[in-house]
Amino acid sequence: MTNDLNRYFDNAATSWPKPEAVYTAAEKQMRLAYGNPGRSGHTHTLASDRLVYQAREAIGKLFNIKDPARVVFCLNATDALNMAIKGCLQKGDHVLYTAMEHNSVLRPLARLRREGLISTTMIPCNDEGFPDLDYLENAYQPETRLLVVNHASNVTGTLAPLSKIIYSAHNKGVKVLVDAAQTAGAVPIDVEDYDIDMLAFTGHKGLLGPTGTGSLYVKPGIDLTPLREGGTGSQSEMDVHPETMPERLEAGTLNSAGLAGLLEGVNFLLENDVMSVRRSETELRSYLYSRLQEIKGIKIYGPRSAQDSTAVLSFTLEGADCGDVGYILENSYGIICRTGLHCAPLAHQAIGTFPQGTVRLSPGYFTDKNDIDFLSGALKEIAELSTGN
Amino acid sequence: MAYKCYITFPTTFFAIRAESILKNEDYAFKMVPVPRSISSSCGTALSCDCGDIYSIKELLLDNELELEGYYRIEEAGFKKPVPAELNENDLEKLQYD
Repeated sequence: MTNDLNRYFDNAATSWPKPEAVYTAAEKQMRLAYGNPGRSGHTHTLASDRLVYQAREAIGKLFNIKDPARVVFCLNATDALNMAIKGCLQKGDHVLYTAMEHNSVLRPLARLRREGLISTTMIPCNDEGFPDLDYLENAYQPETRLLVVNHASNVTGTLAPLSKIIYSAHNKGVKVLVDAAQTAGAVPIDVEDYDIDMLAFTGHKGLLGPTGTGSLYVKPGIDLTPLREGGTGSQSEMDVHPETMPERLEAGTLNSAGLAGLLEGVNFLLENDVMSVRRSETELRSYLYSRLQEIKGIKIYGPRSAQDSTAVLSFTLEGADCGDVGYILENSYGIICRTGLHCAPLAHQAIGTFPQGTVRLSPGYFTDKNDIDFLSGALKEIAELSTGN
Repeated sequence: MAYKCYITFPTTFFAIRAESILKNEDYAFKMVPVPRSISSSCGTALSCDCGDIYSIKELLLDNELELEGYYRIEEAGFKKPVPAELNENDLEKLQYD
């Protein structure tokens, strides 16, 4: 029976397994002579063009993006965040960000700051990972152009109060970039309802697609300076990159095999409904929380209520190094999880786990309660060894 | 003489978006490589009956598509065709021809 268990608890890093259609679509795209999207007009190229277009449209449907031309394809969430941050900021701008941001936000901001181009202010978060909204209200400056917010922390799963933050920023005329790396496909996101200016996300986590796929949504009216310029297959006689979206922000051959897979991942979510994914992941997270709470020596971080969190849970075990816990979980039980700092050092400072880090468990769409029972049984045994009880 | 009409696009995105919109309509059309005699920013063009080009254009513009040019080409077999670039008035007239 244990052979049927899903022991993969690292879906926050990349989701696994994927829906079957994701594998077959990506393979088919490579095996058949699909052409280079956007290059020339033969039938093979058209077949690729259609796939890429359908992927834009499906993503548009998922996030209520009316104009698929505003869905820009790129490598991953990091790439999308870089495009947004470096494409919208100018010398002298001030940027706000929360302590829960990932290095994919912290590092681009740090470089621009060190080069003397921008100034920044960090909005502190409490030990559950929620940002201090009073602090935010007083942090705006006349030069503040952008606020970057992690929709959900990859360390604790904490969901940021997105509506309140966006409302506050827009009141001050500040644009908001939402990092949805952890929430796209896992939590319903309606860009119109939230009035999101830019939404950065990856294809290989909640959207259930292949790695190497990601996207940036840019609200109509916002013009970003391209991070990359080059071949688009259109307006080739011009020596400057086309101004028309989405080509304006895309250069070079797209990852069409990856996008073929991503289209199927998104179709799977459209069929199964993100709201129902969210419900089942909330239930799993509650169950995981309650099972881990029973284990002596385990300290859980992040929100107690699964409503305030994605299906991510970080913990430490008294007397044990996180790396050791991860090592034993894998080598004695075949359970896969992530240990350490999870690329978000400030988040660990906020929750009090810097520099030792945490063990992070992230069940996914294909995890069930039996899998969690097996995991908590394993952790109970490890805890007994570690605490000597 | 038999003619075909063509709509060209600034980018592939708009060509495929046009196809996706027209799929739900009753027009006879084809996405084709841009004929050599036409110059276009994007390698794919829409080919349709000349009597339909005006209403297709209107439909695509209603859907906020960016279009580049409109052409009429005589179907001349292997002879090199001479395209006629069409303006708004030509397009309007064509629908009654």
